Amino acid sequence: MKFKIYLRMVLIAFSSLTLVACNNDDNRNETTGNDNSTGGSVSVAIWDSTQEPGLRQIMNEFTDETGIRVDLSVITWDEYWTLLQAGAQGGSMPDVFWMHSAEFQRYADNGMLLDLSDKINESDSISLDRYYSDIVELYSYDGRQYAIPKDIDTIALWYNKAMFDEAGIDYPDETWTWDTLVEVAAALTNDNQYGFGWDVSNDQDGYYNLIYSNGGYVINEDRTLSGWDSPQTIEAMGYVERLTPLMPSLEMLSENGVDVLFESGQLAMATFGSWMISSFGNNDYLLENANVAVLPMSVDENRVSMYNGLGWAAAADSGNTENAWLLIEFLGSEEMQIMQAELGVTMSAIEGLSEMWVSSVPEFNLQAYLDMTENMVIRPFSRNANVWTRVAQTELQRVWSGQPVGEVLQDIAQQMNQLLEEERQ
Amino acid sequence: MGSKVRKYNTKTNEFWWGWAFIAPTIIGLVILNIIPIFQTIYQSFFRTGDFGQGNIFVGLDQYIRLFQDREVWQALWNTFRYVLVEVPMSIAISLILAVLLNRKMRGRSFYRTIFFLPMIVAPAAVAMVWRWIFNANFGLLNNLLGLNVNWISDPNIAIYSIAVIGIWSIIGYNMVLFLAGLQEVPKDFYEAAEIDGASGIRQFFSITIPLISPTLFFVCVTRIIAAFQLFDLIFMVMNQNNPALPRTQSLVYLFYRHSFTEHNLGYGSAIVVLLLVVIMLVTVVQMIVQKKWVHYN
Repeated sequence: MKFKIYLRMVLIAFSSLTLVACNNDDNRNETTGNDNSTGGSVSVAIWDSTQEPGLRQIMNEFTDETGIRVDLSVITWDEYWTLLQAGAQGGSMPDVFWMHSAEFQRYADNGMLLDLSDKINESDSISLDRYYSDIVELYSYDGRQYAIPKDIDTIALWYNKAMFDEAGIDYPDETWTWDTLVEVAAALTNDNQYGFGWDVSNDQDGYYNLIYSNGGYVINEDRTLSGWDSPQTIEAMGYVERLTPLMPSLEMLSENGVDVLFESGQLAMATFGSWMISSFGNNDYLLENANVAVLPMSVDENRVSMYNGLGWAAAADSGNTENAWLLIEFLGSEEMQIMQAELGVTMSAIEGLSEMWVSSVPEFNLQAYLDMTENMVIRPFSRNANVWTRVAQTELQRVWSGQPVGEVLQDIAQQMNQLLEEERQ
Repeated sequence: MGSKVRKYNTKTNEFWWGWAFIAPTIIGLVILNIIPIFQTIYQSFFRTGDFGQGNIFVGLDQYIRLFQDREVWQALWNTFRYVLVEVPMSIAISLILAVLLNRKMRGRSFYRTIFFLPMIVAPAAVAMVWRWIFNANFGLLNNLLGLNVNWISDPNIAIYSIAVIGIWSIIGYNMVLFLAGLQEVPKDFYEAAEIDGASGIRQFFSITIPLISPTLFFVCVTRIIAAFQLFDLIFMVMNQNNPALPRTQSLVYLFYRHSFTEHNLGYGSAIVVLLLVVIMLVTVVQMIVQKKWVHYN
């Protein structure tokens, strides 16, 4: 009898322990710096787990210098915006977080972001003209600055050296045009491999570059009209028509992803953004067999890379804006941008500082990404770009399945124009 | 010396204690379930602004759009097909398993545990493993059987592949419920039937099924309701640009896309209201039909 009572008490004690210990702290980590002053803390949210180690090092430096503890959370891309939105509506956003061109306008317009303009003017270590001006502009709204540029990314052409060697073809170089690409891809396609790989979802890191190098566009300057039905765009997407027989099927691409296929030696060539370096640099197969070159140019020698840059933003009403600003100022400073580049995290948002990033993975010719910065176009966006991006990607499946490009692009343009009009209401 | 005065009436006492015990659940239910239902219905009459600010009243516009939206009706049909496959099959399989595992046999507990294991595995892990199993080029199924079927990217069969995952996950849960129901069946009936020479199958249909029909009914209703809310399997097994998606996406998947990815909570709410109405109708029909086949003793 006594044993039963004793057993019951132990069980109750254990179950209440699990209640207490039940918090999802798996992805949250605190920095291990010297906590010398009262400091306090600041919470940070990001979505790229491959950038985490480098960023954590930088934040440890911050804690060493200021004594403010940094709580860094890494959330997956899919959940990041849902979480941020929920936090924004509920008044509990992280203090500091990444901003992206696709979502920035909504947050800025609704006063969710801290206005950094005055603090920037007062600051010694931040001066906006050191950054790429497009990115600065990206994160300004109504003349005020709401995020500090964090980085930029460009797109380049990756190729499988082993496959080229086997076929006796010269590696891609700066003389290549998109026609050259199609020809070589055809030569490299056989039963065991595909010459090229693009999925409908590879827009910024894929066919957008093709479109813009051909003089086409996806959305106009005012962000009021679609460019999908412009003649140059239609002409550019004609290359995709020629490439589809040389690429894996739509089914295979949607189940596996172009990066996975490239990493498993199924593709001779593909295009990837500079953000892939963190994971490519850890892939033994790629370190041995792959390299990167500049994107092909158009027939009239026009070479374009899409680019985008993230920004560090702070929540407007977190009650921790002082510490949040200190961290942002730190991250945007020249020293930390250099450190970010050195650690191979991403290319720097400050012009001229990315040379260090280029040598972060010696096996790869990362200079190609730097070369692509000579002619960059900011990634097309609008207030609610998610909707028309999804429409475009879904309709483009028809092109991948063999339907003529012209009518599909007309469809996309029509739907996109309607959505853009709804945005303005 | 007088008699003790009863301070509390037993009935009132019981009444208060009863409410005290169910209060936590009721409060949670009202705040987290009931009130949001009305909020959602309310929101379906608006075009939502960002972050819940600036909502514009549009009356029945969202519903008019809903009725004309072929995607929504296709999604409803996809969800129906999923329910029609998952529920009967999972109930049939788990019922047979429960009957088989109700006998005295060696390793009975072991088998019961094995079949229940899928229930305690995280849904994300289940989705990842099945995603690999079904992968057309590098997956287990195609490579083991030497096939080249696009299990989750062929528009014609993807929904049924998802149903397979659903059936696999829920067999254990149904089986446990049926086992519980089977304990209520007195053994005398089986003995009498045995003496009269009834075969195992005859016993199953004439004794087992009628006597566990209340459990069967419960499982049927709850599983149908849950199956209509299919979302996570599709979301985690299939990419947004999977060519099979239009013929596979469920209503809740569409709701998620409209409400959370595309920030159109008003339309998403309308879709959810449609789902609510559909589920209610199906449940009402089941309630009416129960008089015909469920035997409560």
